[in-house]
Amino acid sequence: MTAYILRRLLQMVPVVLGITLIVFLLVRASGDPVAIMLPDDASQEQIDLLRRSLGLDRPVMEQYFVYLGNLLQGDFGMSLRFRNQSAFEITIERLPATLQLAGAALLVAVLISLPAGIVAATNRNRWPDRVASTLSVIGEAMPNFWLGIMLILIFGVQLGWFPVSGRGTPAHVIMPAFALGTALAALLTRLMRSSLLEVLNQDYVRTATAKGLRRRTVLTKHALRNGLLSYVTVLGLQVASLMAGAVVTEQVFAWPGIGLLAIQAINSRDMAIIQTVVIVASVVVMLANLLVDLLYSLIDPRIQYA
Amino acid sequence: MTRFKMPLLTLAATLLLALSMAFGQRLVVSQGIDVPGFDPHGHSNAAMEAVLVNLFDYLVWKSVDGEFEPGLATSWEPIADDAWRFTLREGVVFHDGTPFTGEDVKFTLERLAGDDGLAEFVNYRQIREVEVVSDHEIVIHTDGPDPLLVNRISRVGSGIVSKDYVERVGWEAFATAPIGTGPFQFVNWIRDQEIEMAAFDDHWRGRPAFDTLLHRTIPEDSTRVAELMTGGVDIITNIPEQDQDRIGTSNAARVELAPSNFVMMVVFNVREGTETADPLIREAIDLAIDRDLLVDGLMGGLGVPTAARLNPGISAAPIDRYFGVNNYDPERARELIAEAGYAPGELTINMYGASGRFALGAELTEIVGVMLEEVGFSTNVDIREFSAYSSTVWNAGAFEHMVVTGLGNSFGDNWFAMRALLCGGQYDDRVGWCNERFDELMNAAETEVDPTARAEMLHEATDIVAEERPWITLFQRQDLVGVSSDVEWTPRADGMLWMFEATPAN
Repeated sequence: MTAYILRRLLQMVPVVLGITLIVFLLVRASGDPVAIMLPDDASQEQIDLLRRSLGLDRPVMEQYFVYLGNLLQGDFGMSLRFRNQSAFEITIERLPATLQLAGAALLVAVLISLPAGIVAATNRNRWPDRVASTLSVIGEAMPNFWLGIMLILIFGVQLGWFPVSGRGTPAHVIMPAFALGTALAALLTRLMRSSLLEVLNQDYVRTATAKGLRRRTVLTKHALRNGLLSYVTVLGLQVASLMAGAVVTEQVFAWPGIGLLAIQAINSRDMAIIQTVVIVASVVVMLANLLVDLLYSLIDPRIQYA
Repeated sequence: MTRFKMPLLTLAATLLLALSMAFGQRLVVSQGIDVPGFDPHGHSNAAMEAVLVNLFDYLVWKSVDGEFEPGLATSWEPIADDAWRFTLREGVVFHDGTPFTGEDVKFTLERLAGDDGLAEFVNYRQIREVEVVSDHEIVIHTDGPDPLLVNRISRVGSGIVSKDYVERVGWEAFATAPIGTGPFQFVNWIRDQEIEMAAFDDHWRGRPAFDTLLHRTIPEDSTRVAELMTGGVDIITNIPEQDQDRIGTSNAARVELAPSNFVMMVVFNVREGTETADPLIREAIDLAIDRDLLVDGLMGGLGVPTAARLNPGISAAPIDRYFGVNNYDPERARELIAEAGYAPGELTINMYGASGRFALGAELTEIVGVMLEEVGFSTNVDIREFSAYSSTVWNAGAFEHMVVTGLGNSFGDNWFAMRALLCGGQYDDRVGWCNERFDELMNAAETEVDPTARAEMLHEATDIVAEERPWITLFQRQDLVGVSSDVEWTPRADGMLWMFEATPAN
């Protein structure tokens, strides 16, 4: 097991290196940070001076190798926007907010999808199934920024139940978590339903029912555990889309996580921050995938890692 | 039971009052972006300066209407062609209690004038030396006569810092824990979330009315509006035009119109060989654009047409002649196209615009394109994301005919507005316009200290630009600011969110 984890961790190194090259080149291809940092009628001299002071006057590949060299020593560079401040420190400082939001969204998704999927599967083609399926389609179809704005208007402005934006009390996380978690809840409900239906048709479930076990026991002991396998797989894969969704959700709710940091960094072409956010987010996603693979062996003892 | 109601209510009210007094009066202001840190010289952005002015003072301050008034300097006068004497205010202390002296001014201004890595270096390097005559008197020596010196030191970057404190902690530490002489002192900063400041008891103007000032960063416009409507914040900037009525009809807040020094405009490529080198074509384009329609139809009334890059509050500018003027005459535009030798639809104008920089920038470019087609041009409209536009079109000088853009004026002066058009200046290599008489006037005005003579020169220079049209202007942009019903505050023309002026309503 330990060897497997170590191997997986080592495999991340070339992936991260590839990511650094891609993001480094993309950021430079997409625009000039100096143009954004200075007023539009800044003189050419003003532009040249700033470009030189930021090291942007050197060839791109030279800049990349300097960056890589620094990266290997743990130096992610300095933020352009927050001048003279470490990009890594700024990014890491924001990670807990995003993890809190993603965790809360995941919780929302699981708390909705698990019971809804089970109810839908066990009531196949009856009204609870139809209601769950319809809501799933609606949930998946709603863009999360629109849902966020609607939640703000209804529960923030009209009813005044929750704070509109920002991060502070536990109440602050509720609306963003719903905005981010709803689409995932919808996807997982449909997945839970179909995978449970498949399992419920298996011979061993029929056998369990035939030998007189209670319906609840059949469901929880025999069907659900097997049905959860694909559920957990998709849950793990969806961590990436939660991180991506957080970018929009954090913007709408002024939630100070790495998504909001990324948007602000892109707007100001803060290269060091964009690169660091992408690297940190990639590592989080890869670690989440590793965690899911490890969870498999807990859910399905047949799977062994060596 | 009813016997107890009144005393209970009174007790509750007293408790609430006591609680609010214990926590103090809090004012929450929100913008879409955060500051990059608190080094007042490390940026070149009006929205960021808008926050920093609460922490730092300038030597010379501008009133709401843009008039100079004493700040940390109580008086100033030119004493030679290249020297100005400033008398400094006595009894001013920094937030850490140390007294403010001429040494702090010298330290601040000489840093700005000497460090070419600072974004505002180019606008301060005209300062040659700051001579400290005494603790409360300084002489600023400039490289040659500088009639703009007072404008120069009353704008972005002019915040005076404590020499003693910076030398003790260094700029890096200063950027996250600043000390100034402003009406509020720094308490805490959570990046991209909030900046907390507390009223400075010993501020020289007196204590601000609010005990706590919180600047919150809320990037999404609609969320900012929702926070204003629910009382989460008290003052917000950049309200989308469509939310104007919703806020206006609520009891929670009101919408105030904030004029700005920002003018939307069209810049032409007039280099030989391009169609826009022909003055008839530039004039035809100028006359094809209905500024009233742009302001009313597109901007929701937020703007004033102008025929030059000026607006009230800009010094040495012929405001009366150009401000409020809509150069619109489609018939004459058609005739001019014919005079230039083109049949309707024959000449295609390639125009560029940027999205993501100016409010409705992309839409403005498209509508200007439609207006040109109305009078007989064909158009190719190319809109790019701002930084792509900036690096591939504007800074590269790679546009065949024209760009639609917008420019602010942090100096509040007409020379500053037109300086880019000097031969060999910022725009020469991009637009290819060079006019000897214009240069003569501008160069003379740059060193003319007599305000009347200087204004005359700049009026004539403005006329030349209006006549020759290396650029044409569309309208002065206005912004909407939302203010809670619980707060008294009027937006300023320079966009500074200076909360010393804010007081609780009632």
